[in-house]
Amino acid sequence: MEPTALMKVSNLIKHYGDVHAVDDVSFSVPKAEVFTLLGPNGAGKTTTLEILEGIREADSGSIEIFGQRLRHIDRATKERIGVLLQEGNFEPYLRVREVLTLFASFFRTARSPAEMLKTIALEEKANAFVKTLSGGQKQRLAIGVALINDPELVFLDEPTTGLDPQARRNIWSIVSNLTASGKAIILTTHYMEEAETLSQSVCIMDHGKVIAEGSPRELTARLGRETIVDFVATEDCELPEALSSSCESVRGEGGLVSVRTTDLVATLGRLLDWSRASGVPLTEMAVRQPNLEDVFLSLTGRRLRT
Amino acid sequence: MTAFRALLRSELRVFLRDKTSLTFTFLFPLLFIVIFGYLMGGTGSAGGSKLGLVVAAPVDGSRLQSVIAEVGVAQVERYAASGDLEEAIDARDVDFGAAWDGATLTFVYDVRRTQENFAFEELARGIAARFDLANQGRRPLLDVIPVVEGGEAGADWFTLVVPGILAFSILSAGLFAVAGHVTSMKQRRLLERLVVTPMSPVAFLAAIVVVRLGVVFLSTLATLGTAVGLFHVAFHMSWLHYVVFVVAATVGTMGLGTVIALVVRQPSSASSLANVLSMLMLFVSGVYFPIEIMPSFLRALSMAMPLRHMADAMRYTTGVMDMSELRFWVICGTLLLGGLALLPILSRYVVRAERR
Amino acid sequence: MRGILCLARAYLATALRERITLFWFLVFPLFLLALLAAIFGNVGQTTSLTFDIAVVNLDQGPAGRVDFGALVAGTFRELSQPGTSGKDPLFRLHEPAVGDVDAAAYLASEIGALKVGKRAAVVEIPVGFSDALVAAAGGSAVVEGAEATARVIVHTSGGRTSSDMALDIIEEVLVGVDKQILAQLGLFDAARTVVVGRQEVGSEDRTLGYVDFLVPGVVIMGFFVAGLFSVPGTILFGRERRILRAYWVTPLNVPRFLAGFSLGHLGLCALQFACVWLLGRFAFGAHVNLFQPLPMLYLVLSMVTFLALGFLVAALARTPNAGMAIANIVNMPMMFLGGLFYPTGSMPPALRVIMMANPVTYLADGLRASAGVSTASFPVAVSLGVPCAWIVGCAIVASLQLKWDVGR
Repeated sequence: MEPTALMKVSNLIKHYGDVHAVDDVSFSVPKAEVFTLLGPNGAGKTTTLEILEGIREADSGSIEIFGQRLRHIDRATKERIGVLLQEGNFEPYLRVREVLTLFASFFRTARSPAEMLKTIALEEKANAFVKTLSGGQKQRLAIGVALINDPELVFLDEPTTGLDPQARRNIWSIVSNLTASGKAIILTTHYMEEAETLSQSVCIMDHGKVIAEGSPRELTARLGRETIVDFVATEDCELPEALSSSCESVRGEGGLVSVRTTDLVATLGRLLDWSRASGVPLTEMAVRQPNLEDVFLSLTGRRLRT
Repeated sequence: MTAFRALLRSELRVFLRDKTSLTFTFLFPLLFIVIFGYLMGGTGSAGGSKLGLVVAAPVDGSRLQSVIAEVGVAQVERYAASGDLEEAIDARDVDFGAAWDGATLTFVYDVRRTQENFAFEELARGIAARFDLANQGRRPLLDVIPVVEGGEAGADWFTLVVPGILAFSILSAGLFAVAGHVTSMKQRRLLERLVVTPMSPVAFLAAIVVVRLGVVFLSTLATLGTAVGLFHVAFHMSWLHYVVFVVAATVGTMGLGTVIALVVRQPSSASSLANVLSMLMLFVSGVYFPIEIMPSFLRALSMAMPLRHMADAMRYTTGVMDMSELRFWVICGTLLLGGLALLPILSRYVVRAERR
Repeated sequence: MRGILCLARAYLATALRERITLFWFLVFPLFLLALLAAIFGNVGQTTSLTFDIAVVNLDQGPAGRVDFGALVAGTFRELSQPGTSGKDPLFRLHEPAVGDVDAAAYLASEIGALKVGKRAAVVEIPVGFSDALVAAAGGSAVVEGAEATARVIVHTSGGRTSSDMALDIIEEVLVGVDKQILAQLGLFDAARTVVVGRQEVGSEDRTLGYVDFLVPGVVIMGFFVAGLFSVPGTILFGRERRILRAYWVTPLNVPRFLAGFSLGHLGLCALQFACVWLLGRFAFGAHVNLFQPLPMLYLVLSMVTFLALGFLVAALARTPNAGMAIANIVNMPMMFLGGLFYPTGSMPPALRVIMMANPVTYLADGLRASAGVSTASFPVAVSLGVPCAWIVGCAIVASLQLKWDVGR
């Protein structure tokens, strides 16, 4: 295990009958970094995380946390980790401050609720009932609870799903400040921007397997020095032969076409010629650098978000 | 018409799957009747009571004993001394006691039998009154002949309670159809999905009314059948009045449910509020306890309770208690018209977008 | 330890802050106590009711003879005058107007009013009453089997309790009239009237009333409802909403959670008890002493028994709705077949079995008997032992069946 890795997972397997929810998954989570499991819904990210949090049992595989090989997540480990559950909830009639105090009392050492309120920017809502909080505020409270024992390793399961962009950004800013104090974060998401913005390491999962691993930059670099041209065309028009042979294109829903090319100028020229010749209008054209979505697309032929 | 039939089928299916609704509408009244039918079977007046008697020698106790027998005490145990009588009462060998020394007749009670002493005291009063005459060798001159006019002769507490429970089950069905079922659909945003279709809210509400009516008829008939079949309660049903009342009451109580749905801030609190109100109403509407034994302010309060009038109407329908025909039709009319008047408001509630 | 106390405090806080919970666990027992005490506390004492009655004297006795019919009517008239102490009179009297010849028609209309509840009773003094009375008085030296009496007909309305009550009172009034007439005829010596006395046994406290019997019952009902609904409700909804799962990813384990949860629940029960006792004591004058060792033992045992029962329900239900349905179905039979509010008289075997298996039966009996408000139907060993058996049974089933997380 690398000296700075807080957790190492090897050959983790979890089957439900015929379904391979987690199929021979291995990765390690380094210290002071945000490690992301990226994949579409049903990829096995949450199941993997729940095994590591101690909620589920793996069928086989090994888990090493804080240098110790474990079969089950034990109480001593739980003192040192923090968990943000997917679809978690708190008692609706407790006040925000009371929730933090309650969870703090479960650990041998914990930060003061007052301090945590500041970190998660909920000081104004300290005496509000949980049921009156907005989605974003509830999620910030959940992060506060996950951090209340000042853990070395933090699990964040889909921390921004269902939140509006502003709330999402608030969460991102809290998360990115965490690595500064040496914490390791393992995060699951199906939002490509989240993986790109927050993480130092990304592990792409699909159908229970790890299909790619590396930093966001390393992953997109796999696609070479490609550029992507996006445009919207009508559904049933055929792209010209010349175009489809020299570069890869993928049709998405709503007539969105993404063309990957290493020769931007040539491709643009051919597209414009074709459009003029066939009369097919090209709308919403954009030229951009490849991102993780494109990496996933190239590996699986599907989009991250279904 | 097919839209309506489809709605009818889906409403019926939803109702049958909702275990809580099924329990409250069918199981509850039946359970209640069965439990109380058996509970009340044994009690009543203290006809089966045992009296302990001490007559201080040399006084003659024969007249006292014959009076006691007339009054209807089941068994008499003689004791030699008061001390023995007190011990017997303490040990529950007898229910209460009487000690006669020629001048004073003292009745002895176990103070801990707070629920039953009332009946024993009634017996004691009867004994004292008759004995006062018999002691001087006199019989009563007056004979009181009770004649029951209208209603059911000898209607005991259980006979009165059954129509009350029937009224309550109709109240629950109608109330929770709106402040429970409709509000829950609103809460889960199912109404929004229905509303954007060409379906008219009237058809939707009509389907609910029809299903509830069917359910209520079935449930009340089952309860009546149980009361009559198992406990031989004497009802003289007027089926015309029954049908009219059930229809009017179901519609009327749905109107009541509409009021609750409008009053609460969150649709989810509607059923809790309906539960609370119906339970409170149950206790002050003369269903469990006869109205007359309640303090006067509660009696006045009960006049404002729909359940009070519904229970009375149901008692009239089952022939247990008489009331003016006019009052019956006023009750039914008020329920029906009130419910119908609130139907457009309910319709608007179904259609209106929820403020997020 | 800190975690356990915090959990207990959280349980209590959430129970009291949710309005519906507050209503059912605090307000409703208080309401029930107040209602039952107000109603039944008065029964047996002089009622404050005034009965609307009609008295119709059909007997127009020939002049020269004493008109006993008028005497009877006169008695009722007196009783419908406002009393000297300012209390409401016993009757509101309706009589035919003086000079109204058609008494029979008046009787018929009054009976019509009686049927629809406008009168509690109609007293009819039939034709020939005075003559019959004189004949009865003549043969009034006790001859065994002599049947001579003068009839007074009292019409009542079927299915109305006020009618039944009025009948009882009228019968008592007529007994007094009877004595009066006998005295007037010289056949009864008022000086030798039997003196009636009253004595109470069975308890040091001779002033126990219905409310002293009621308070222990309402306390147990409160514990019962709290255990049956609050416990499975909190656990099942907490499990489904993943509130519990948030606990299991921390060092908090199930035993510590249970300790905190139970402590909080006992706190809720203690609060219930305090409120019910305070209301009973200061609003209704209950002075049953529950603060002795054995009653206190029953109280604590009750709290724990129903807590265990709640865990049983949580263990048997798969979803929160199923749990609440079970609780609702079980609630009524257990409360009413446990002798909380009605004395359990003769019952068919099926119901008797339920009653004998029901822990409420033993706890209510034991608590009341040990507090001196009733006699024990079961020996102490039994009324302590059966609830303990329930606690053990529920604990075993719950520990085997109760799932603390969804979908593991």
